[in-house]
Amino acid sequence: MNENRFASGFLVPPGVWLLLLFVVPLVLVLALSFGYTDDLGEAIYSTRLDNYERLVDPDYLPVLFRSVGFALAAVVLCLLIGYPVAYYIAIFGGRWKNVLIALVVLPFFVNYLIRTYAWIAMLGDDGLVNGLFDSSIRFLNTPYAVIGGLVYGFMAFMILPIYASLDRMDPALIEAGKDLYGGPWQTFLHVTLPHTMQGVLAGSLLVFLPAVGDFVSASLLGGPEEVMVGNLIQQQFQASDNWPFGAALTVAMMAFLMIFMLFYLRAAARETREATA
Amino acid sequence: MNGNPNRRELLQGGAGLALGLGLAGCGVGNIDRGSLAETEKPIRKRVDGDLVYFNYSEYIDPDLVKKFEKRYGVRVRESYFDSMSAMMAKLRAGIAYDVIFPSAEYVQRLRSGFLLRRIDRDKIRNIDTVYSYFDDPWYDPGAEHGTPYGLYATGLGYRADKVTGMTGSWRDLGEADSGDRSFLLDDHQEAIGMANLVNGYPLNETDRDKLEESKDYLVDLKPKLRGVSADTITNMASGNAWIQHLWNGDIVNIRYQVDNPEDYRFQKCREGLPVGNDNFCIPVNAKHPGTALLFIEFMLEPEHAAQNVEWIGYPMPYEGAATEAFQGLVKDDPEINVTIEDLENGQQFENLKGDGRLAWDEVWTEFRVA
Repeated sequence: MNENRFASGFLVPPGVWLLLLFVVPLVLVLALSFGYTDDLGEAIYSTRLDNYERLVDPDYLPVLFRSVGFALAAVVLCLLIGYPVAYYIAIFGGRWKNVLIALVVLPFFVNYLIRTYAWIAMLGDDGLVNGLFDSSIRFLNTPYAVIGGLVYGFMAFMILPIYASLDRMDPALIEAGKDLYGGPWQTFLHVTLPHTMQGVLAGSLLVFLPAVGDFVSASLLGGPEEVMVGNLIQQQFQASDNWPFGAALTVAMMAFLMIFMLFYLRAAARETREATA
Repeated sequence: MNGNPNRRELLQGGAGLALGLGLAGCGVGNIDRGSLAETEKPIRKRVDGDLVYFNYSEYIDPDLVKKFEKRYGVRVRESYFDSMSAMMAKLRAGIAYDVIFPSAEYVQRLRSGFLLRRIDRDKIRNIDTVYSYFDDPWYDPGAEHGTPYGLYATGLGYRADKVTGMTGSWRDLGEADSGDRSFLLDDHQEAIGMANLVNGYPLNETDRDKLEESKDYLVDLKPKLRGVSADTITNMASGNAWIQHLWNGDIVNIRYQVDNPEDYRFQKCREGLPVGNDNFCIPVNAKHPGTALLFIEFMLEPEHAAQNVEWIGYPMPYEGAATEAFQGLVKDDPEINVTIEDLENGQQFENLKGDGRLAWDEVWTEFRVA
């Protein structure tokens, strides 16, 4: 009994942590979404449905689709760039592995906002890149700049889990694939990729979730059309003094993101089954 | 004895849920309205501790802060907000600041909630240099709860070396030839206010039909814009913006950063001029109100005010050195200044009530998603 008690004692810190930092805020956001603001701009808890009624408006759909589209584009680009990087480090990194991974992580010590401002300095009309190539390409205030900002902002979230899954993989498997007359591409498709699918899925989710709710990239690098859900939420909390509507937007977005989360959980469960089968 | 350790958590979880449901009718945060008696407590002008300071960042000359620390042997513990809403959120969370810098609108709000200490004007030296326009302002009858700080007007900043066709109208933002480099200010009040003025309505119009016209104006403007952004200084100094909807002082700050300052100019628009001012205020829960009073007095010293004006790039409404300092700063483009006539003829954003506030928020959201 004592042992049991001792063991379950370990559950208390994470339990409290989850409760305080996850459950309570979530309940508060949910409660707030039924509220309203008084004439002083203060949010008041209530039981009104106004905020959700306002949400049921087809005008919001393009913003939602745009957010998901940008986030998916960011996932695909992160995958196309991040997988080869992770592969190179894991397979050919040798004794430099840890240094290379540290280099991948290093830029993330700098705040995302500041890194995004650096993009403005680099890609502006009179910026570094245009100056270097004596060109006058308009990079900023375009959807491409927003997607680029998301890719750059969340790249490490893709590289690290893929690297971890590649690092775990037994290199003998690749040898075996080659021994069985598989070409490099076939070996990759039939051996390496399936073995690292969990990393790919985890990386995709880790990039997708923050990207779809991001507002920094769209607000600093986007044009008038590049409005994402995050921008609408930020507006409600930081400018319009309408926290309850911001909370309703947040709840709606979380509900929507659960769909992707469930998709991930199912796919991940399948991967685990196949891996252990 | 054999209690399941999860039970306590479960109970706590239940308590959390009950808390959420039981919150109906309560305000967020815990500064309930203060009381009149508390706001009236006289402040003794003396050092009563370090100064807990809360302002926009880059909105005071840091050398003056150091000088104040030295003179009174205190530390100024600075923290920053990036919007009035963010400031209110921190105040609501119950954090005690000694001096804050709300705009006129927010002075009115804070005051009506009994959240500001009354400032005895007679105790502050040089208070008589403040423009008499502010003796009895609309947001603070008797000027008893705030002292004016920065002064601003909203207009169009433009590159005289690039843009042709500026006519003195707000419409220039979409219609002058800016090489497709026009930026609307990412501020729902300023944007909707501008649209109201363009359509010939008062700045603070709340009639839904008229606001609909203003929304249409903004939606039509959208394809002519390169961006909707509050990074006005970065946009113009980097060459990405040739016309930028902005506050007058931003032009001064842009001029500090570029090689050809005389080309960066400011246009007040004939359909109407939004003007406003920020203020020094002492919150009711300030722990060191005496030091805060000394700080306000320190900043009002003509020499300090003039130095601060030159650093922040915004005018301050004090007769004498501060006014002269700003005039000197904008000699070649006096439009950048905010004069007493501007204050008298301009329009100020007011606290909108109930449906009016919601209507503005809806117009802005609909414009953004359109």
